[in-house]
Amino acid sequence: MAGSTERVERIRLNYVNSKPAISYERARIWTESHKRTEGQPVAIRRAQAFYDTCKELCVNIFPDELIVGCSGEFRKCGILTPEFSWTWVDREMDTFATRAQDPYEMTDAQRAFVRKEIFPYWKNKSLEEAFLAQLSEETKRVAVDTGFVDTDSKWRQAVGEITADYQDVLFKKGFGGIKKEAETYLSELDATSLEGAEKIEFYRSIILVCDGIITLAHRYAQKAREMAETESDTKRKAELLEIAESCDVVPEQPPKTFKQALQFMWFTQLGGILSENPLAWNPGRFDQYMYPYYQADCEAGILTKAEALEWVECLWLKLSEWVWTISANTADFFAGYNQFQNLTVGGRTRDGKDATNELSYICLQATENTMAHQPGLSVRIHPDCPDEFMAAVTHLVSKGTGFPAIHSDQAGYQMLINAGYEPEDARDWSNCGCVVPHFRKTGEWTSAANLNFAAALEFATNQGKSRLSGKHIALDEKDPKQFTSYEEVEKAFYKQFAYLIKQAVISLIAAQRLHVEMVPRPFMSACIEDCMKNGKDLTKGGAKYNIGPVITGIGIAVVANSLAVIKKLVFEDHVTTMSELIDAIDANWEGYDVLRAKAQAVPKYGNDDDYVDDIAREIGNFFYEEVHQYKDIYGHNFLSAFMGISNYLPTGKVLGATPDGRKATEPISEGVSPYVGTDTSTPLAAMRSAAKLNQDLHSGGTLLNLRLNQDLVATKRGQANLGAMIQSYFALGAFHVQFNTVSTETLRKAQAHPEDYKDLLVRVAGYSTQFVNLSKSMQDSIIARNAHETF
Amino acid sequence: MQIQPFSVNDGDGIRTTIFLAGCPLHCKWCANPEGFDAKPKTAFYEKLCVGCGLCTEVCPQKIGIDLHNLQARAKCINCGNCADICPKHAKKRMVEYKTVEEVIQEIKKHSLFLRQSGGGVTFSGGEATMQHEFLNVLSEKLYDMGFHLALETCGYFDFDTIKPILERMDFIFMDLKHIDTTQHKYYTGVGNETILKNMIRLQEINADIVIRIPVIEGVNADIAQIAESAKFVQQHLPKAKMELLPYHRFGFGKYEALDLPTPSNEFTTPSEEKMALLKNIIIEQGIALADFR
Repeated sequence: MAGSTERVERIRLNYVNSKPAISYERARIWTESHKRTEGQPVAIRRAQAFYDTCKELCVNIFPDELIVGCSGEFRKCGILTPEFSWTWVDREMDTFATRAQDPYEMTDAQRAFVRKEIFPYWKNKSLEEAFLAQLSEETKRVAVDTGFVDTDSKWRQAVGEITADYQDVLFKKGFGGIKKEAETYLSELDATSLEGAEKIEFYRSIILVCDGIITLAHRYAQKAREMAETESDTKRKAELLEIAESCDVVPEQPPKTFKQALQFMWFTQLGGILSENPLAWNPGRFDQYMYPYYQADCEAGILTKAEALEWVECLWLKLSEWVWTISANTADFFAGYNQFQNLTVGGRTRDGKDATNELSYICLQATENTMAHQPGLSVRIHPDCPDEFMAAVTHLVSKGTGFPAIHSDQAGYQMLINAGYEPEDARDWSNCGCVVPHFRKTGEWTSAANLNFAAALEFATNQGKSRLSGKHIALDEKDPKQFTSYEEVEKAFYKQFAYLIKQAVISLIAAQRLHVEMVPRPFMSACIEDCMKNGKDLTKGGAKYNIGPVITGIGIAVVANSLAVIKKLVFEDHVTTMSELIDAIDANWEGYDVLRAKAQAVPKYGNDDDYVDDIAREIGNFFYEEVHQYKDIYGHNFLSAFMGISNYLPTGKVLGATPDGRKATEPISEGVSPYVGTDTSTPLAAMRSAAKLNQDLHSGGTLLNLRLNQDLVATKRGQANLGAMIQSYFALGAFHVQFNTVSTETLRKAQAHPEDYKDLLVRVAGYSTQFVNLSKSMQDSIIARNAHETF
Repeated sequence: MQIQPFSVNDGDGIRTTIFLAGCPLHCKWCANPEGFDAKPKTAFYEKLCVGCGLCTEVCPQKIGIDLHNLQARAKCINCGNCADICPKHAKKRMVEYKTVEEVIQEIKKHSLFLRQSGGGVTFSGGEATMQHEFLNVLSEKLYDMGFHLALETCGYFDFDTIKPILERMDFIFMDLKHIDTTQHKYYTGVGNETILKNMIRLQEINADIVIRIPVIEGVNADIAQIAESAKFVQQHLPKAKMELLPYHRFGFGKYEALDLPTPSNEFTTPSEEKMALLKNIIIEQGIALADFR
């Protein structure tokens, strides 16, 4: 049994074994509400639609639940938000149930209903349609559904990317308190100025969403009481009554107990989900804001550690059960029903002390027990991090879940300082989504654009044309066969690169303007302190910090490796010419095996070789400078990042072969990670290469994924060494690292395709070595041994 | 020599292990056959080879891709050109010449990792003391830089010559392959007299000592042999720990890559029960066990 109790295990098995279903209820109520509010200000319309949803949406309490609240009629439920985009749903929903990646259940009757009753209303009213109508053909050519520059998560979806402020807003005031505050502000305002009129509108929208979420909770209280009346099991009956009592209190009032605080948290998540179906709606520093309740309840004797663990596990599964409804294409990028609700534990307090507490450990334990994909569990590691905490972190790494994502407390702090935060707030950072250092009083698009670095190289070496389609995409420049120096090649690359960045910025400015106009966020704004003080919605820059949109670079390793090949083979060693090299990649290396082998033998990023690492560093620095010069609609600089997700697959699919030896359509590289299979030295060398990239410049976050064999971290001693490796990497200035400890399945694949797994380290007996360098029989025995350690 | 920059089983923490080639013993089960002598060697991992033929372009002896035949091996002068150009690392330099300064540069790259983990540098082999002049200079420089140093040795050396090196060590692993000198000579090529004498003299050295026995079924995996070895250690080095390492065949891949005949199949890995039994004998003798797994 994986869960800490039988209850958790039952919920977990249901989560693992059942397919999510689409509910159109939220979309139906939202649409009907909008039909009634034509002519009203958009913020009021959206707040009213939220209120109506809370009032009408079905309430369901599922078996075994301790924490209640669901976004629709199904336990594993996805919702529709046609106000952002409905066209892709219309195109794809017939195959929702049958598609390969992340399928959803949806019935014919449901489909017929949404096509008849919901979508027609939104025709020409959705954010997507407005965006596409406004964008120039030039920018579309580069930045709409191309894989070169990708911004569609900012105009086909809600933004999300917010961390609720439990510390200073929600747990202090409750939504009842926030509503009162809004009423007080309102009583002092009149509409004799533009500012006054806008603030009145804002506070009215806040009152509506507060009333909404309180109403929803009270409906759950009523439902729990009804169910308790007919419940024959006395234990469950008592639980239902406790749920009812809890929903009477939260989230209207501040929570009184640990359990109420958890229920409060989930209602807040649910409110965010219903308001916009968000990606990266983060619980933030859970161990910090929950600890006072945990401690008080334990001291009062009304909570045990075991009970707290069970409740936290229930929350983890609740966070995992709702589904972010996405297109098939997006699902290829974000495979696995991921919602990116990032929860950060450990680190330092606002005044700089170690912040780990018992709950930090309970969170790690809950992830180990439930093996749930949510929350996105992140840890902050500072130089004086307690050994016990590091041990708990590396222990979880050894379990092979890929969790937690491990972050340098100091690098995160520095990234926020560089982005303009005050020191105390910077020390209080938590993660957003995957690896973006963030802070709860912030409005920011943390994953605004994906920028394909290797595309810029393709355009530089193909006169602005796509190698696969032959279509003209970027700048029409000099024939690459005529380049006479490496500097010229480099310059051509940077020119195309800067052009792509510019198109990304143009596309995001357009999206930002539309968000202000079309999709204000009253519910999210209620959860952020300074929006209330400023009387301004998040989309209008109401938060304390408004940080520029983040542009994520993909494929830095491929470009650095490729430029190194051109530099060495063409201009230093003269073993080939620009002409031959261009012919070779045009031919996808077919017929150029020897040249390809030579290209592959040139030093590769990820092996601590300055020859190529210096090129990577230069590209990283240029990226920062170029991105940073642009300002968003609030006047804040755009930020750079090297995040990952699985963007390196689709961005590779649209590209021809590259000079590093990569073939057409193969993936490129993720974050600051080396290109797969080319970091043939040691994990230490890979870390040293990655740390050369001045990571703290890239305030949008950096990502390194490394693969380790489970055996390396199977013992406490191995885990301690891993802890030291992590601290060393962070001492070099790096921000994030995450480990895959390898499964038997992977080892078998490694055996079949050794060329792709050269970096795979295995612990043998008295030493460690590359798996592929072992004899077949030895590999077999290691696979056999490993199998005993998995389940 | 060879450098392994990420070694986690040769002492505390993360270590850089320096394998110095050449060995006065020739154990029939040796796991590091590249270290039999100090000559450069070229390994060929055929299954990584994609047949691009780049290696043939740079070979001064005009040998083809395939090194797995006697004529090729006879012609090969182990210049390493093929290994340097091979994009797939199918050909690999196995023993290389390096200067003290080059080795120190390699170690310094990982200094942060070594220090943070409480690790350091381990000298191994072959037999590290075979190149004692080199080792003397290298270990002195590293000692002055404050690195934690460990030595893995077969114990077969002239103690007074090696003593200055030993005195710089924080940790010494010395092997005791068989307590019976006749058996020792049969399996390793030399008797154990010098080794046992040197082991006794380790009392003069202020370092943590671990006496290691590679436990091999068919050679030394019997109760009496282990008990007698333990007794010897207990008597002469009462503060030393012992480590029992079960024999493994993980070096066989290297034999194949170097076209050397693999060790006899009569040597087998002792069972886990057997290992537990033998470890218990050590403990009963009042000796603490060391373990770096």
